[in-house]
Formats: sequence, C-alpha cells, structure tokens
Amino acid sequence: MDFSDSTTKKFKVPLLTDSVSAGFPSPADDYTEESIDLNEHLISNPFSTFFLRVKGDSMINAGIKDKDLIIVDKSLTARPGNIIIAMIDGEFTIKRLSIKNNELYLKAENHNYPDFRFKNHIDVQIWGVVIYSIHSYL
Amino acid sequence: MRISSIEAIALIDANNFYASCEQTINPHLRNKPVVILSNNDGCIIARSPEARALKIKMGTPYFKVKERLNKLDVAVLSSNYSLYGDMSRRLMNLIKNQCEQIEIYSIDEAFISISRPNDKNLYPWARSVRSLIYQNLGITITIGIGENKVRAKIANKLAKNIDSSAGIFDLAETKNENNYLKKIAVDKIWGVGKQTSSWLQSKGIKNARELRDIEENEIIKKLGIVGKRLQLELKGHKCLPIEKNKKSKKEIQVSRSFSTPITKLEDLTQALATYAIKASEKMRSQNLQSSNIRVFARTSKYSSQNYQRSAHRQLINATDDTNNILKIVVELSKEIYNPEYKFSKAGVLMQDLTNSEYLQQSVINYKSQKDLKKSTSLMKTIDFLNKRFNKNAITWAITKKQQSWSMNKNFLSRSSTTDIRQIPTILK
Repeated sequence: MDFSDSTTKKFKVPLLTDSVSAGFPSPADDYTEESIDLNEHLISNPFSTFFLRVKGDSMINAGIKDKDLIIVDKSLTARPGNIIIAMIDGEFTIKRLSIKNNELYLKAENHNYPDFRFKNHIDVQIWGVVIYSIHSYL
Repeated sequence: MRISSIEAIALIDANNFYASCEQTINPHLRNKPVVILSNNDGCIIARSPEARALKIKMGTPYFKVKERLNKLDVAVLSSNYSLYGDMSRRLMNLIKNQCEQIEIYSIDEAFISISRPNDKNLYPWARSVRSLIYQNLGITITIGIGENKVRAKIANKLAKNIDSSAGIFDLAETKNENNYLKKIAVDKIWGVGKQTSSWLQSKGIKNARELRDIEENEIIKKLGIVGKRLQLELKGHKCLPIEKNKKSKKEIQVSRSFSTPITKLEDLTQALATYAIKASEKMRSQNLQSSNIRVFARTSKYSSQNYQRSAHRQLINATDDTNNILKIVVELSKEIYNPEYKFSKAGVLMQDLTNSEYLQQSVINYKSQKDLKKSTSLMKTIDFLNKRFNKNAITWAITKKQQSWSMNKNFLSRSSTTDIRQIPTILK
C-alpha cells in the first residue's frame, strides 16, 4: 500500500551501489507518472471552492440526494438555472435560481417544498454556485 | 508600449479577519456580534463589526465580560486556527494573482507591488480586487496604496478611518497629503516603537507630518540609519523592498499555556511530549528535519515566582522521526523540571531545520539507512492515518493519560473548510 500523497514528497534515497542495466526498459515507463486527480478535473478555482453536505430531499428532482457532498464555487456569479447555495435567515439553503414574470426566485426541486421569494425575507445572500454533487452508492 | 512604469506599493489586510472567517462559513453568525477568544479561551482577540458596535473591547479577559456577552446575545468562539489558516492561504493566493510581487506579512496582511497605470489612477484596480475577494471568500479587505511600505501602511489606516474611502486610499495621488499625514499619530506609524514615540513626543513631534519634516540630523543623531530610512519613506522614497521570498522558517515552535498550572514532572513531560508529536508532524509536512531540539517551561508572568528554564540537545543527524524526538524530549523535560515551581506554559522548538532533500547522506551507513527507510515509512503511515481518519487516530501512549492541563477550547467552531467530516450541512 502506498501512503504517499501530493503533499508529502517522496524521500530521496541515493543509489549507493553500482547501477545495473539489464534487459530493455519497460515500454510503459514513460506513462506511469500520470494519474487522474479529481481535484484537477472538478475544481477550476481552488481558492474559492468549498465543500458542503446536503441534508434532506428538497433537491431530489435535480438528482441531489440526502447526504450528498456538494462542491460550491463562491467566485461564480449565479445565473438563472444555476443551483445555488444561499444563506437565508441564518441557514444554508440549496435551491435552483429561477426566473418567472421577470422576478427572480428560488425553486426547490421537490413539489413538497414551496418556492422561495426574496421579498418575504430580510437577510438573504447568494453564497455560491453548486458545480458538482457527489453521491455515494454504498 | 509603456516605456517605464512607476511602481506602487499596497498594503492589503482583511477586516476583522478571524470573525469574518467564522461569519462567512456559518450562516448563524451573519450580521451578529461575534467575538473570538485567544488560545485557552483567555481574552477577546477579535470582534465582528457588530461586536465593536456594542463597545466590546479587544484584550478583555473573557471571564470579566461573560455575563454581559450573554445578555447581549454575542456569539463567543474559541480561536480556530485550522479555519483561519486555510482562509488565509486562499486569500493570499487570490491576491497573488492580482499583483506583481507579494510579501505575506501576517496571517491577514500582505504588502504587494503593482505598476501604476498611465492615468495614475489605481482606484479601479483596487475596487476590482476588493470585490473579487469579497465574491470569492466573503471577506472584506482594506487597501492602502503609497510609494513605499511605510506610506502604504499609513494609507491603509486612512482607508479604515475615512468613511467615504470605501476601504481604499491612495496616499501617493491625494492632493491634501499634509492634512492626511496630520491625522496619523507618531506612535501609529509602522516602525515607530514605544521608546521612539515617547522621544518624538518629548520633542513635540506628534504626527506623521511633523516627523516627515523634522530636521534630518536630529533624527539621525537619535535613531540612526533606521530613523533616517523611516523619514525618507515618509517623504516618499523607497527604502524597504518587497521581500517576495521570505527566508524559510528557521524553527518550528509548538507551545501552549496550561489551563491549570503544572507542578508534577509527569504532567510536564506529557505536555512536552504532546507538543513534540505535533512539532514533528509539522516538520514532516514541510519536508523539514531538525538537528537541534529545545524544550522550555516557565511560571506565570503574573505570579510572584519567576522561573524559566530551557534545555536543548544537538544531534549529529537531523531527524523528523517522532520516536527519536520523543526520547530526547522526555530526557530534556527532566532537566528543566523543578518541583518548587508552578509552570504555566511550556513548549518545544525544532531548530536548525534542514530540508530533507538536502540531507547529508554521507554520514549514514547501511544499517542506519535501513532504519531510516523503516522510520520514514512508519511516520508516513501514521501521518496518513491521522489525516484520513482523525487527528489523533494514532498517537503515542504518553499522551493518552488524562490531560488536566490541556488548553480550554470550549467554544471551538468546526474545521469547515479543511476536514471533510466537519463541513457545513445544508438543511433543506
């Protein structure tokens, strides 16, 4: 098992014995360095990206389920259609930013939950835009 | 093409940094008065603007204002350095992308250099950086701009004190420089210490403008080259460069005050061992090894006893192995212990640090080479498990006993940005 990760550099041990060259080098040698790093693929703005955990089923129709891990980019400007995280009256909320009759509102992706109108609340802040959700099947 | 560009220096700092970090990640704290307590929950070390508005003072011991804070419904939090450190790393990296050079000055402060545009107006740039940081982190920054570090610091103060400045002030481009410099008291100038300021005040020099205009010989006579440099910077000359590659840390220190004083050797050893484990971990995470290990302990500054002792061990080979370090620290704790005193603080220092990559291999023979490999992979495994599961999933038995002396952290917020088990939850 290899416990090394990107933050701990490998300890360098110099070759003290004579080096032995025998046979052909493996043709795969040049290709063994790379591995898929999810950070690299899922996160383009690492300094403004935060993780949150979903509780509840209000976004079930958008494929976001209870206990899912959410990746949020705070640097993005929310546009209608985006799924966003808002701070509303002292709580984090996840909703879809939507537009109807020229009015922005927040839509739950579950018919059991009401839409959210901005004007009924004093303290609302769109906190970030959801870029991925990660669901475990185990 | 620009033929030459004039360089400007800015000092950027985050407003109410610790409280802002907590507020940005916890919706309950938004727009509420928040105070942060020092290590061991002793004093108030940071306040949100809402807490400032309630006239809660910095440095106040918590026990003295506990009831009042309760009544005012102020949120009280222990300092959470894993959160502040992570937010600082984000902040500095975002700033780095907006300037030419950066010198990180403290956890929430950085000097940067930028070139002045042809129209000399840096306000649009500053406004964009300010809104970028707010959008990315939810943290408000103040930007002071000048020709050099001393004047950038002054500009930053002015930006904070002038309501209409909206957090940005450029001292190099203002028309009323004299008026503004008059507002800065000498003891508030960067680089002016207590002694200097009382000497200046005895001379009738009360503010930055008067210090700038004082007879040069007089300042050199009293303060030497340092004073001359300070005056030159006040006048707009650049003497202090941006230090973009600050020298790597020369030592790693882990020290704490105890919640209750320690009198037994057993407790002192346990405390020092706990700090040594932490310091070794820190070294390994930065690929550093120490060849000089020091421990110290002291009595309270406020008690009638005044005792402090330190002891150190010089090693032939630098090490980052917790086992080796613990053996040494346990021995050293016996050397500094004295049963007659009540210790209130102790710590370990890892000195003479070297980078593992430059470790001298020549002195290592075959057997120790094997041991070294074993120790390296053992430490790697322990660090991995602790990172993966829990900070103290694996530790040394010496730390497991009841720790009556350990720090109070009764109001610690979660490590919302650095620990997957502690990330915030969205309710519905």
